[in-house]
Order: sequence, then structure tokens, then C-alpha cells
Amino acid sequence: MNVRQQLQQLLTLAYVFTSAFILWKTLSIITNSHSPIVVVLSGSMEPAFQRGDILFLWNRDDHAKVGDIVVYEIKGKSIPIVHRVLREHHSKDFAKQLLLTKGDNNPVDDLGLYAKKQMYLNQKTDLVGTVKAYLPKLGYVTILISENVYFKFGLLGLMCLSSLFSNE
Amino acid sequence: MFNLSTRFQNAANQTLTTSIVISAVIIIITFIQLYQDDVWHISSSSISNIKPSASIKYSYNYGSSNRKPKENSKVIFDLDADLSSLFNWNTKQVFAYVTAEYPGKTDGSSNKITYWDKIIINKEDAKIHLINQKSKYSVWDIEGSFRERDAILKLEWNIQPYLGPLIFGETLSSTNFTFAKVQSPKSKSP
Repeated sequence: MNVRQQLQQLLTLAYVFTSAFILWKTLSIITNSHSPIVVVLSGSMEPAFQRGDILFLWNRDDHAKVGDIVVYEIKGKSIPIVHRVLREHHSKDFAKQLLLTKGDNNPVDDLGLYAKKQMYLNQKTDLVGTVKAYLPKLGYVTILISENVYFKFGLLGLMCLSSLFSNE
Repeated sequence: MFNLSTRFQNAANQTLTTSIVISAVIIIITFIQLYQDDVWHISSSSISNIKPSASIKYSYNYGSSNRKPKENSKVIFDLDADLSSLFNWNTKQVFAYVTAEYPGKTDGSSNKITYWDKIIINKEDAKIHLINQKSKYSVWDIEGSFRERDAILKLEWNIQPYLGPLIFGETLSSTNFTFAKVQSPKSKSP
């Protein structure tokens, strides 16, 4: 095995990673959302969305409608939340729109989840996107990777093994 | 050249292509079926006998901040609707909700609130027949009061599919009502 071949392999690996990264960022630009595809982590929207379901987001609508399912982030909390719009109040031509959300499976609205003294979400600044389409269960792999240590290292080991074999 | 990684790549590519094609077919058939069932023109629904009520709340959970009085609105209503045409083989659940739309303070501003909603999982439960149903939510406005404005009550729905896009619509019927005046004991005395 010579150096040239090793460099070639390194290049292929880099190519795989960069193309995945470029694809993700292109999707980000098209949808105007910093995470255009999200995996559901909680059961607050059951039975519509279960843990591990994949959601496709879109963030170029100039307003949200009541009944829309939106993903939002609260300042200071890093976990995005997927809930349904319960009320909306907007000024002329949707220059400003305030939203109150609630999880279908939760007994009360999201006031308790918002920041202190925050009564509404701002459609322009707080939303990551609106859920447009749905794929069941496939995102469970990412939950396994992030939450199960054995699965994570098992997968890593498998990748190392396969790269060893492909060298021959 | 047949090694493990090329074999794996081929299999992965094949799976991806096949699943994209199958998903596209499922989504197209679902839409054709929904158009055939004419779900965007459901006329077999009515909201009637609306009895609004109003009260004053001072709690954060009822929209009040800094202990300022906040008017909360509730309604009692009758609802008849048949949403069973929304159920086909790609329907996981239907979310039905009753909304009220009313104008805001400034020109062009508008508000829409939810009084009641229901998760429907079976087609058998999609025939809704409610009498003297209390609203699920106690609703407040961004202003302190609803000022006895007129509002339009509608039944809307959202189909959550097993796979594919979320689909939204509303039934054709709509009913007008006026927000109730707060019955305060002080105003009774002359």
C-alpha cells in the first residue's frame, strides 16, 4: 500500500463529508431554516408525531396559520419544540405576528415553556420552520446514536472494520 | 471491483431510489383520492346555538401580566359535522378544531383563536355530534378586552398522514357571534 492510495482514500472520505455538508446547507438556504429536517424527541404531539419521526420544515411563509405545526426555539433554551399554533394575532399585512402554541397531547398551552414573562412567540424571530411533510420512524437512528452508547460505538467499530476490509 | 463498501453503497442507493419513488406514488395517490372525495368542500357541518361568556382573570395562566385584569372568553356551542371523508388508507389522524376570527384594533389587523379541538384517530369517531359543548380553552386577546366585537366561528381540520405532506382545510359552514360583555357585580349598582 503506497502513500498515493492512502491520500486517495482520504480524499474520498473528505468528499463524502463535504457533499453531505453542502447538501444540508443548500437545503437550509432553500427552506430558510437553520435545521430544515428535524427528528421528533418528545411525545407532546402524540399520536400525530412519535419519537423518531422525521419532519420536513419550511420557513419562507410570511405568516403562520392557526392549526399549523411549527418548530420554535426559546432564547436561552437550545432544544427546538414542535407544537401546534393555537392562536395568532397579526397586524396589517402580517408585518408583525404573535403566536401561542400548544402540544396536542399536552393538557395546557405553552406559556410555561416560554421564557419568563414571555406571553407569545414572534413569528419572524422565534420560528425554526413550519412542518410541511412527515416520514415515520426513520429518525430513530439519530436518537439511538445520541442516547445509546453501545449503539454509537458499535456503529463506529463497524465503520472502522469496513474501512479496514476495503483497503485490500 | 467487489468489496464490502461498494456493495453497501449500491444497496443503499437502490433502497433510497426505491423508497423515494414509492413515497412519491403514495403522496400522488393520496391527493387524487382526497380530490375525488372533495374534502375541501365538506358542507355537512354546522355550528349553532353559540352562547359566549366572559370573565375577568388576574393569573398569568389566563393571559394576565402584572396582575392586570384580563378578559377571558368561553363559548358553549352545538356542533354537527361528518369528517369521515377525510379518512383514507394514508390518514393517521385528523385534528379538528373550532376557530374564531375577529378584527384587531388597527386597520388590517386580525386575530384567530381556537376554542375547541379534538384528535380523531378512527373513522367511526369522525361523525361529530356535540350539544351544549363547553369550549376547551379559556381564551384571552392581546388587548385587555374583546370589546364585544363580532367574530366568525369555523370548523377546520388537519390530516396527519402516515407518510407525506400535512393537509389542511376548513368546512364550508361558518357562524357569526358577538363576544359577551363581562357581567361585573359593580356595574349593576346605580
